[in-house]
Amino acid sequence: MTETTIGSAILPRAPVVADKPPGYWLTVVRRLRRDPVTLFCMAVLLLIVLAAMFAPLVAPHDPYKTSMLKRLSPIGTPGYLLGTDELGRDLLTRLIYGGRISLFMSFTPVVLAFLIGGTLGMIAGFVGGWVNMVIMRTTDVFYAFPSILLAIAISGAMGAGLTNGLISLTLIFIPPLTRIAESVTTQVRSLPFVEAARASGASTAAIIRVHVLSNVVGPVLVYASSLLSVAIVVASGLSFLGLGVSPPEADWGLMLNTLRQSIYVAPWNAALPGAVIFVTCMCFNLLSDGLRQALDIQR
Amino acid sequence: MTTSGTKGRGVRGVLGGGLVAAAAALALGGPAVAQEKVLRVGMTAADIPYAAGQPDQGFEGFRFMGYMLYDPLVLWDLSSAEKPAGLKPGLAESWSVDPADKTRWTFKLRQGVKYHDGGEFTADDVVWNFEVARDTKAKHYDPKQAAQIATRIPDLKEIRKVDKYTIEIITHTPTAYVPYEVSFWFMPSKAHYEKVGSWDAFAKQPVGTGPWKLQRVVPRERAEMTGNKEYWDKGRVPKVDRVILLPIPEASARTAALLSRQVDWIEAPSPDTVPRLKQAGMQIITNGYPHNWAIAPSRAPGSPWNDIRVRKAANLCVDREGINKLLGGLSLPAKGHMPPGDTWFGKPTFELAYKPDEARKLMAEAGFSATKKQTVKIAISTSGSGQMQPLPMFEAIQANLNECFFNVTAEVMEWNALTAFARNPANHPDIVKAGVDSVIISRAIQDPFSAFDRFFLPNRIPPGGSNWGMVDDPEYNALIQKASQTFELGAQNAVLGELHAALVNKAEWIWITHDVNPRALARNVKGFVQAKSWFQDLTSVTKD
Amino acid sequence: MLGYILRRTLYTVPIALGVTILCFALVYLGPSDPLSAILPEDAPKELIDRIKKEYGLDKPLPIQYLIWLGKALTGDLGTSIATRRHVIDEIPPALFNSLLLAVLASMLAFTVGSILGGIAGYFHGRPIDRAVTALAVTGVSVPHYWLSIVLVIIFSVEWDILPSMGMGPDGSTNFSLTAENLRHLILPTVALSVIPLAIVARTVRESVRETMNQEFVQALWAKGLTGRAILVHVAKNAAPTVLAVMGLQLGYLLGGSILIETVFAWPGTGLLLNNSIFSRDIPMLQGVILVLALFFVGLNLLVDILQAALDPRIQR
Repeated sequence: MTETTIGSAILPRAPVVADKPPGYWLTVVRRLRRDPVTLFCMAVLLLIVLAAMFAPLVAPHDPYKTSMLKRLSPIGTPGYLLGTDELGRDLLTRLIYGGRISLFMSFTPVVLAFLIGGTLGMIAGFVGGWVNMVIMRTTDVFYAFPSILLAIAISGAMGAGLTNGLISLTLIFIPPLTRIAESVTTQVRSLPFVEAARASGASTAAIIRVHVLSNVVGPVLVYASSLLSVAIVVASGLSFLGLGVSPPEADWGLMLNTLRQSIYVAPWNAALPGAVIFVTCMCFNLLSDGLRQALDIQR
Repeated sequence: MTTSGTKGRGVRGVLGGGLVAAAAALALGGPAVAQEKVLRVGMTAADIPYAAGQPDQGFEGFRFMGYMLYDPLVLWDLSSAEKPAGLKPGLAESWSVDPADKTRWTFKLRQGVKYHDGGEFTADDVVWNFEVARDTKAKHYDPKQAAQIATRIPDLKEIRKVDKYTIEIITHTPTAYVPYEVSFWFMPSKAHYEKVGSWDAFAKQPVGTGPWKLQRVVPRERAEMTGNKEYWDKGRVPKVDRVILLPIPEASARTAALLSRQVDWIEAPSPDTVPRLKQAGMQIITNGYPHNWAIAPSRAPGSPWNDIRVRKAANLCVDREGINKLLGGLSLPAKGHMPPGDTWFGKPTFELAYKPDEARKLMAEAGFSATKKQTVKIAISTSGSGQMQPLPMFEAIQANLNECFFNVTAEVMEWNALTAFARNPANHPDIVKAGVDSVIISRAIQDPFSAFDRFFLPNRIPPGGSNWGMVDDPEYNALIQKASQTFELGAQNAVLGELHAALVNKAEWIWITHDVNPRALARNVKGFVQAKSWFQDLTSVTKD
Repeated sequence: MLGYILRRTLYTVPIALGVTILCFALVYLGPSDPLSAILPEDAPKELIDRIKKEYGLDKPLPIQYLIWLGKALTGDLGTSIATRRHVIDEIPPALFNSLLLAVLASMLAFTVGSILGGIAGYFHGRPIDRAVTALAVTGVSVPHYWLSIVLVIIFSVEWDILPSMGMGPDGSTNFSLTAENLRHLILPTVALSVIPLAIVARTVRESVRETMNQEFVQALWAKGLTGRAILVHVAKNAAPTVLAVMGLQLGYLLGGSILIETVFAWPGTGLLLNNSIFSRDIPMLQGVILVLALFFVGLNLLVDILQAALDPRIQR
């Protein structure tokens, strides 16, 4: 069993490729409906995502409007439900807006890594030979770094900033996705019906389109989804170190970083952004577990 | 002297470690030294400043390493909290310029000054140290020290030994600032370097003439110094036995360290924590000093700041008291380039006050209105030495200026990136492309050169100066030239006062505030006098 | 077995070489001038060029790499641009401090995680199992840097019973396990141990559950042979996996402790790395990453070999 957390190995094992029985999706939905935890997590995440998307509509205040008088108001101050930050900006508003960058910083690298890693992995698996050798050995080199160390190293070398953060996060997610795509592709390639299609002279493009893609994308996608929880924690960690977006933008990690300087004045305000990261990460984890069970994918 | 080299666990390391352990055992266990007075200081730097000769880590390095281990030829008088700190004799007892050739200075050295290893300080040390900074072919040339000192002694061309206690300094062009320049230049021991053979080795056990002796350095963790009982100035022999310097870059960690009694003294507590520190019985000590936090505008062709009405309007539109409040009262709202009451303040007629109506009127005259705003873009760092609370302060200024027909945006970058950015002048293509027309870099304005010349002379446009905005004003040029040619100090100060008045009257910069150098001391730390300077003297400090 | 060890070790060589290339290359990703950290902002161009030459930064990159690698192989990782100290001298004490934390956290995680996981696996499906599972999910989801801050808020700010920064009165030199120093160790160790603890608990739980379901154990069970025999069997079965997980976790703790070391101002490799990033100290950054990555590669190798020794099926 492998975990997908910040500190743990992102060491995928190939899911077993199997033909899906008829009525499969119906079963999945039925399973999901009987799983309150997963449903709850879905609802929480949906809430967070929607709030971030429609931030200007739902946020009670201007995220950039500072007030010297209201600095570090405690949680529960009338009009400022979650208090204010070190510049007197409404924390609830900042958290809602912060979700935009934090979620963007988590989703984008996973999606990019899914596309790049998936493609690389399929090429490696399908072509084999020295191409496979080059791609997979390069992947191995990246595996020699604990993922968060690699992200910090790349980001640190390139300097702070959203783009650099995205690049470094994408880079750390490509190797595991490449590896899993390669492994599934290799399995699919040797399946009897693919062998048969080959023997009957089907074009490579057709084989890839019909057989490989349909069988590979699913497992890789599910695996990629489980990386979201890692992404949110690592992305916020980068911002926390000062390697993400620059102020006055709001971002959960950055907020945690700046508010930390005030722990002797408003300790619990300082803990809030981290709590949001925690809840989001936890929901991603539980959702991913729930989905995997519902989809009945063995890992 | 015991040194704990970090070099593995070699024979030397074991030896050193053994000695340290022995010393520690003595210090902790022996009843004879039980009452040893140790002062533990939490610095803002992330690392121990370079200990060989010219320190790094900005003026904090000068404060806690340079002026503690070493002396320059000319010292700063740090004994008063009331008057601005001026120059006083250091390793040189007196100096004078040749009336016939004003590029020729004679410095009479103090006799009988002993280095920490017992050797005597002489003219040879001065000549040799000039080679360390300038003679790239010399074995003892040190690129690191050279880089640190290059911009401090730019006018020095040559140093000649006249006799054992007399040197001659030759400058490129006549300048009256030589005493200021050499006040930043420390004199490590030539004999000791020749004994240890390299600057790396020297840095591990440096030898200077200063009031403190370095006992050991643990990189990034601590430096320990003991008082130099044989210090040449008997009035400045340290009162505590030992000082331990701890680099604690995070403000909250420094606060934690002081509250939990891990240190007795912290530099720059964050304003928010001041009430909590006071409540815990800590002393908060502040004082004005030559520090300047301002917006330096571009005067390159096409810059919005070329209109004096715009510059004046901006100066009148900033609520400096509001910013002071944001800083917990730990600042001195600006009245000009120099802090109020400074020797060089002069008598400017333009008053930096908060008058938004007047500001809007000026902006209207310049052709702007609530619908037609003047766009400006300021480059600013997220943090950095002396930058105080850059982003909160910027945001307050932004809110202010936006009320006066400005539309202010920021180019935010990290500190080193900002200083690198400002290494090109305002008309550099990269800067024009970024649309930046002003920068906020806090400045040390301790001596005439660093306060005026480098910012306002056309030959100080980067590279090779800090005149980022490319200021070139005949009036300033003439006054600066005049000051540097006025060799009598009182008259020189008067010229600089005139210059300062001219700068303020033309609203050359948008001055915001001056830091007050806050530090928090435990209740039992006594005798500290906070001078109006970037540098401070720890020798008078005692601990109950 | 010897063949396997040899094969596995040989396989590590190209990876280690790749690691050196990556370490060298990533440092040149940066846009800002590596020398900006040491030069005054108004330094003239001649001075910049001269210093560049003195630090060997004026040569083409491949040449710089070969020079760097050659030196690195002989243990010379260069001189820190910021401090002029030898990089190789800086790393061992920092690594020791980080390892101290990582090893203590691993031990804590292993002990508590095994016990919790064992109980959960044994009482599979019961409330206590669900509680442990929930705890494990929480553990793997909690951002450890946030947990560190929360611990500081509770134990240092609010209650004022534990110190929140540093290694103790004497720093890392002369570090010994005195009561005062131990107090400094508590918070960072706990914060660091949470993730591996959760992972070990999960792993052990799965492993125990699988073993308990084996026919052999069921038979023992039926015979009424509870207690020690089953425990030994279960432990034997779980050991290789738990060992592998723990070994890897030690590596991750070392690499991931940068955030925790930053919060607690702990003078380890993480803080060293953080400092070198923000002072743009290239040789130091290269050196720390290289040492950590090679350490991790070595750890992987060791874990693989140990695992193979415990479970010969792995040798393939």
